[in-house]
Amino acid sequence: MKEISFFMTAILVAVTSCTLDKTDYEDEISTEVTEHFDYETVVSISEAQYQIDIAALNGTFYKGYNEIRIQITNTDNNTSVNNAEITFLPLLTDTFGNTSSGPHQYQLDYLSAEDYYLGYTVFPEETDASQYWEVHLSFTNEDVTHNVTQIITVEEQTNMNLNMTSFTGNDGELYYIALVAPQKPSISENELVAGLYKYMTPTQEAGNFPDQSQFSFAKVEDYTIRLDPRMPEPSMGNHSSPNNEDLTPHSDGLYYGVVNYTMTGNWTLNLILENEFGETLKGTEVSTEFTPGIEGTKSELFIDILF
Amino acid sequence: MGKQIFITPIFLLYGLLITGQNKTKAKDSIVALDEVELISVIKKKIETDMKMAVSVDEFLASSDKISFIKRGAYAWEPLLNNMSSERATITIDGMHVFGACTDKMDPISSYVESNNLTAIDIASGQEGNMHGATVAGSIDLKRKSTPFSVTKQWKGAYQTGFEVNNKQFFNLGNLSYASEKFVADASLAYRKAENYSDGNSDEVEHSQFKKLNASLGLAYKTSDLSSVKVEAIYDEAKDVGYPALPMDLWLSRALITSATYKQLFEEGLFQALDTKVYFNAIEHYMDDTTRPENLVHMDMPGWSTTYGLLSNAHLKKKSFSSEIQLNAYNNYSIAEMRMYPQDRSERSMFAYSWPGVTTTFAGLSMNNTWKISDRSLLSFGGALGVNYNHSKYVEFNWIFHPGTPQEKTRILPSLHAGYQLNLKRFNFNIGGGYGHRAPSVSEGYGYYIYNSFDRYDYIGNPDLDNEISYEVNASAGYTIDRFSLNANVNYFYIDNYIIGRILSLGSPMNYQSIGVKGYTSLDYATLFNFSLNGSYSILDNLHWNGTLTYARGKDNNDNNLPFIRPLSYQTGLHFQYNKLSLQSSLNGDLEQINYSPEYGEDQTPSYTIWNVSADYSFRIKNYKTVIQVGAENVLNEYYSTYADWGNIPRMGRNIFTALKFNF
Repeated sequence: MKEISFFMTAILVAVTSCTLDKTDYEDEISTEVTEHFDYETVVSISEAQYQIDIAALNGTFYKGYNEIRIQITNTDNNTSVNNAEITFLPLLTDTFGNTSSGPHQYQLDYLSAEDYYLGYTVFPEETDASQYWEVHLSFTNEDVTHNVTQIITVEEQTNMNLNMTSFTGNDGELYYIALVAPQKPSISENELVAGLYKYMTPTQEAGNFPDQSQFSFAKVEDYTIRLDPRMPEPSMGNHSSPNNEDLTPHSDGLYYGVVNYTMTGNWTLNLILENEFGETLKGTEVSTEFTPGIEGTKSELFIDILF
Repeated sequence: MGKQIFITPIFLLYGLLITGQNKTKAKDSIVALDEVELISVIKKKIETDMKMAVSVDEFLASSDKISFIKRGAYAWEPLLNNMSSERATITIDGMHVFGACTDKMDPISSYVESNNLTAIDIASGQEGNMHGATVAGSIDLKRKSTPFSVTKQWKGAYQTGFEVNNKQFFNLGNLSYASEKFVADASLAYRKAENYSDGNSDEVEHSQFKKLNASLGLAYKTSDLSSVKVEAIYDEAKDVGYPALPMDLWLSRALITSATYKQLFEEGLFQALDTKVYFNAIEHYMDDTTRPENLVHMDMPGWSTTYGLLSNAHLKKKSFSSEIQLNAYNNYSIAEMRMYPQDRSERSMFAYSWPGVTTTFAGLSMNNTWKISDRSLLSFGGALGVNYNHSKYVEFNWIFHPGTPQEKTRILPSLHAGYQLNLKRFNFNIGGGYGHRAPSVSEGYGYYIYNSFDRYDYIGNPDLDNEISYEVNASAGYTIDRFSLNANVNYFYIDNYIIGRILSLGSPMNYQSIGVKGYTSLDYATLFNFSLNGSYSILDNLHWNGTLTYARGKDNNDNNLPFIRPLSYQTGLHFQYNKLSLQSSLNGDLEQINYSPEYGEDQTPSYTIWNVSADYSFRIKNYKTVIQVGAENVLNEYYSTYADWGNIPRMGRNIFTALKFNF
């Protein structure tokens, strides 16, 4: 029996020695991506008796697409201002004093249920030493118009799933594509949402600064963004996934499609922008050839993501 | 998590071991308690004609119903009736154990060792439905189990040996203690082999292995007619090379435990009732760091955990006997892959190759035999099972099968009948069967599982229909004093035959891969197996035996199925002179004519292998000792068989020696 006891002890030691742990799936898809759920105030501006709070996800403006929620409070009686006319204009000024903007909603919508003004803005650049952003906001309440200007900071978007790109199409127009969702993709079918905007070339001379007509953008309707997701990492041979769906416009003005990510890692969303007549405005087909060992070729129009 | 699972049953056993040591007084005993074997299909000692110290794989290979897919020198995948392993139920004492490797590097037979087995029961087709739903049949690995004994006795055996070709050194020991109330069986085995050399005397790299296997069984007689038994097997394979695959094995471990309660009945309809609860956990970690030529470094760990219950009753009334078995088990299989980019600082790429798949099965099987007369016997039986699958990360399955349900329940019926007639020197057998099987975890839920044989990535399909088999079988035998001849045929018509087909969707994930295949159901496939066995005693001490097998498998378009054995033969002579015996055998396959390029096969040429061995029995003091020397592939033929993965060459000339003591 001694032998058996010894033998059992030996087994006990053997089976409890090191083994590898299973991967925690939730942790795995969160290593690169932090998902934000909360809208927090980015800036508060005082103007006369009003306090204006501009909120965005995680209390930060990021390069790319930002949904903005504005609340105006009359501090005299501590009530919120409903149904005011609000305009919102973000402007970027560089060291030479040139100003530009990004796609944005100029006139905000009032949502009575949520009691805030809803809009969005796409910042094509970050704030840095050579350029700064400011917001020109105006609102009219009780027949009095208030104009305020506030410098804001636009930070780098570390979540590559909310990347953006801008380009000039074959029609000579300047377009912007900004990813809106998913913030945190998973290895699955993901609903891919993007905004497609176009810069409206001004038709008249600039008036008094800031003249909104010089910085006008429109949501593009009736186009198609064709989608071909790939893994460009050389070892992945430009691997693609099945059952993806091109992005098409939705009633909310955004473009919706389906992207399947077969594993975590670096992915390239290869895009082709087509107008309502099916004419290509930007982008090239990517060969379906599997090319292990070679960095994957990309469409001339693409957005890289990582999760 | 994995660690705790391993520890608990060990402590459990440890406790039982200590309580089991209490000595008890002598009383009447029922020696036959452990020898109730009413239906045994094929039973053999764990040694072959040629070799007394064989591995489980070598032993299985001696059955003419079994062929192998070989990926190296270790862990061969058994094919029963020329069907892949998911079509058969492979069990250890009726316990279901599922390998944890998505690439089938760990068939269940790799987790046992020849010195803890006493027999292997092979049942063909639906006759093998006793342990659960099957198409090809069942392979049950029977563990050693020493009967209770009126007198206290220790018994043991020790085998050691060396095989020259791959410098395999093995030590197998087993020890048993039996008393009237208490029995202990223990075994320990260790094998270590280096790379083998092929028939051109070239070393086949990555063909080494190391295997440790230990088992313990403790039985306690609770009354004259009942006993309890706890058993455990621990198996660990380390640093195992798979020359046919792009990766090797770093470590695989299995802990297989069970507790059994057995009750015999002296009178009445019931003869024996046997109830077992079991647990087993398998972990399997592949390793490609030994393959610097690989473009991508990958980690591919897999885990499989099974809980189960089986309860078996033997009934007998006059000429009618019956066996009823309840099988229930729950398995959770999960496997991961993580690919590393060439710049290791970049994000690694992760996915599940088995996205956490639960399989729960419960079924009731019944087999009956009715001895109509001294000359004829009717056997018939059936089974009904429920198979439930659940995919934890079903979103992986949605990528190829959008919207497929997370759960799937299947009903798996089975029926069979056979009639046996003995007419003096002739015996005849005819039978038929019908049965369903559910897709395996890989077939249903696999995700980019790379198959290095046809170089495709395989995707499972959760919506596959049950595979439905219709089978007929017949055999005829002729026996006179010195001569016997036996012919067996079976024919399977399989509806919804599951096989991989090229998908027009997606693109490969593994860099060696050339495309993506999805598991699909063919309308049907057919399989025909034939074997002819003969034996002749030329002299009293000179015996001949021979086997011829032929098989043919076709899909619904009349194309060949893969891994179907070509015409093969085996012939052997055995000569006994006093305590010396000499054996010689020839075996081989003819040229593979009906190969399947569609499924990645190329034509395999014919080969013939000649083997010889000699053994001598003597006594050292009171120990019965056998010494054996032999050579396999004496002519050092360079060959690979139709089922050698990637045409890796088989072992060249191998001189083996073995020594066995019994006490």
